[in-house]
Amino acid sequence: MGEYGLTVGTVELRSAGPITFGPEGILFLADNVAATVYAVEIADAGSTDNAEPFDIDDVDARVGSYLGCDAGDVAIRDLAVHPLSRNVYLSVLRGRGDDATAVLVRIGALDGSITDVPLTDVRYAATTIADAPAEDDERIDFTLPLGDEGEDVQFGTRTVRIVRSPIRAATVTDMAYTDGSLLVAGLSAEEFSSKLRRIPFPFQDEAAANNLEIFHVSHGRWETAAPIRAFVPYQGGRSILASYTCTPVVHFPLADLQPGTKTVGRTVAELGSHNQPLDMVSYVDDGEEYLLVANTAHGLVKIACRDIDSQAPLTEPQEPVGVARRTEELRGVRRLANLGTGFVLALRADDDGRQHLRSLKTSAL
Amino acid sequence: MVAVAWSRCAGRDCVRFAEPVADPQVRPSSAAVSAPAMAGTLVDDEGDLCFVPRFGFVAGTRYTVTSAGTVLATLTRPARTVSPTAEVAAIHPTVDVVPRNLLRCYVSFTAPMGDGDAATRVRLVDDAGTVSAHALLPTEYELWNADHTRLTVLLDPARIKRGLAGHRAAGYPLRSGERVRLVVDAGFRDATGAPLVTGAERSYQVGDDLRGHVDPAAWRPTVPAAGSREPFAVAFGRPLDSALLGRCLRVTGPAGPVAGTAVTGDGERAWRLTPALPWQPGRHRLLVDPVLEDVAGNAVGRVFDRDLAYPADRPVTIGFAEVTFVPTP
Repeated sequence: MGEYGLTVGTVELRSAGPITFGPEGILFLADNVAATVYAVEIADAGSTDNAEPFDIDDVDARVGSYLGCDAGDVAIRDLAVHPLSRNVYLSVLRGRGDDATAVLVRIGALDGSITDVPLTDVRYAATTIADAPAEDDERIDFTLPLGDEGEDVQFGTRTVRIVRSPIRAATVTDMAYTDGSLLVAGLSAEEFSSKLRRIPFPFQDEAAANNLEIFHVSHGRWETAAPIRAFVPYQGGRSILASYTCTPVVHFPLADLQPGTKTVGRTVAELGSHNQPLDMVSYVDDGEEYLLVANTAHGLVKIACRDIDSQAPLTEPQEPVGVARRTEELRGVRRLANLGTGFVLALRADDDGRQHLRSLKTSAL
Repeated sequence: MVAVAWSRCAGRDCVRFAEPVADPQVRPSSAAVSAPAMAGTLVDDEGDLCFVPRFGFVAGTRYTVTSAGTVLATLTRPARTVSPTAEVAAIHPTVDVVPRNLLRCYVSFTAPMGDGDAATRVRLVDDAGTVSAHALLPTEYELWNADHTRLTVLLDPARIKRGLAGHRAAGYPLRSGERVRLVVDAGFRDATGAPLVTGAERSYQVGDDLRGHVDPAAWRPTVPAAGSREPFAVAFGRPLDSALLGRCLRVTGPAGPVAGTAVTGDGERAWRLTPALPWQPGRHRLLVDPVLEDVAGNAVGRVFDRDLAYPADRPVTIGFAEVTFVPTP
């Protein structure tokens, strides 16, 4: 693990955000309150051979029981499956307000056992995701100090006492690792931008990260930028399919993206009104790659990747729009992760709000 | 029956057993008996057996204590007494007339708030009090500032952006010529779990669309006299985003950045800086970060939704825009 720049220490999560596995059992955890992404070594023993698909009813209540709280005090923010052991990891917020605790929960692939993963004395690395100005930036965020706060900063021959603004509020909504980079999508609490942050891993200094801005066009006439809510790399990381908060589903080739230049993605579908994308996953079935899109209004949306490649940009304002896709009847799916060959794991809420883990057989989708 | 009670052990809350019991387990009473037992450790405390949970007991929650599958007791943690102290400090924008394509509002509170209430405790209503359905964007992750005192409320961009399915199916969230109110329920809980002292709301008249780039070249500055501490003021001609105004405008002069007190006014249509030291003679620059947006999400560098047939709306790649001024002699 030395090549990943990990050191032994304690990760103190201040919030539970998206999680995703990277190379060799490295789990990335986004802590939005701390504006930090952690890379933690999860040294699970075992391999995929013995893991079977499994379902867990009332996973929120079962996790709550282990954590000593009612299901209503459990917020499952994300799930990820260890690529070797197939153990399931949940990013959980227990309680709310001042009492809220972020917990990484592990569900054993072999027996469904629920445990928490202490993040003390773990091998980890961290990188900030704050969009903070550089020290020598003329545009330094500052305000006039009150009392003794602030710091002295030299501007030419003058020394000015300033207070640096707190980090800008950015909320990570999805992450994926591909080809030496962690891709991070986020929603700013202030400006409305469509930046996808590309952070080299092993983490380097902050300057190594760059922002990719991808515009999209609606019906050949209106070009917009919007925050990416969920995305998935596919074709071995060469392509990205991203779904925006305003619901267009947009394709762009990752290799073509250059920082600082404007990229216009190809809108291949829309998820429709009163709908929000929640999560995306890719899988291979019978030699063909497919994508699943979980969303708030409809069942799972299934798209064949080869249909994306052949889909011309949407230009006509008429329904139905976009790439051929099938809407599965399964509703209420909030999160998705690959569960080895042939299965996708879904976190699903039923009509009563109870949450369940379901293994979906990909050949049956 | 074995006496089982809440107690303290080594400085932590615990469940104390008055006599030895076999395989004691604790679960929230809402959980099934087949659910995993609560994580914790059994310790011997002066002869008593104590269960110390890994994650603390939750105020107001009922727990069932079992021994080898037999229920020994149900115990309820005392509910925390909380009294309302937090209030809504401000709702932005403060302008009376908002554009039909209004994108964003902010609710500022006097204390750090809890997560989880934004979707149910903030809403848009019309004059008759009817909630505007699907007007606000539901976000899984609530959008707070770093200290959790300012909530960002987005109107659904899919309904504002022309050409998108949401816009074509449901139209703008707001209707020109009508009045609308952003309402914050008193039930919005702060970080201690207490509700607000009182609810709050702000009423707006809905006007026309706000289009085009934010254009600093069109701003109207009021230039102060050199040697004075009069404010430098600038009128934008349109309401700008209150949060971005707080960090997107800076003034520099011959001697570097001008420190001072900046305030926005006139419904975020104006900004003025009162310098800490008298104005120097010579050329000054108001630097404008191109991410600065108006209340409809149009920025200096790009418009919110660009009509490709309208060349003036092309995105522009610029560094900081500048408004120059020279304090009068």
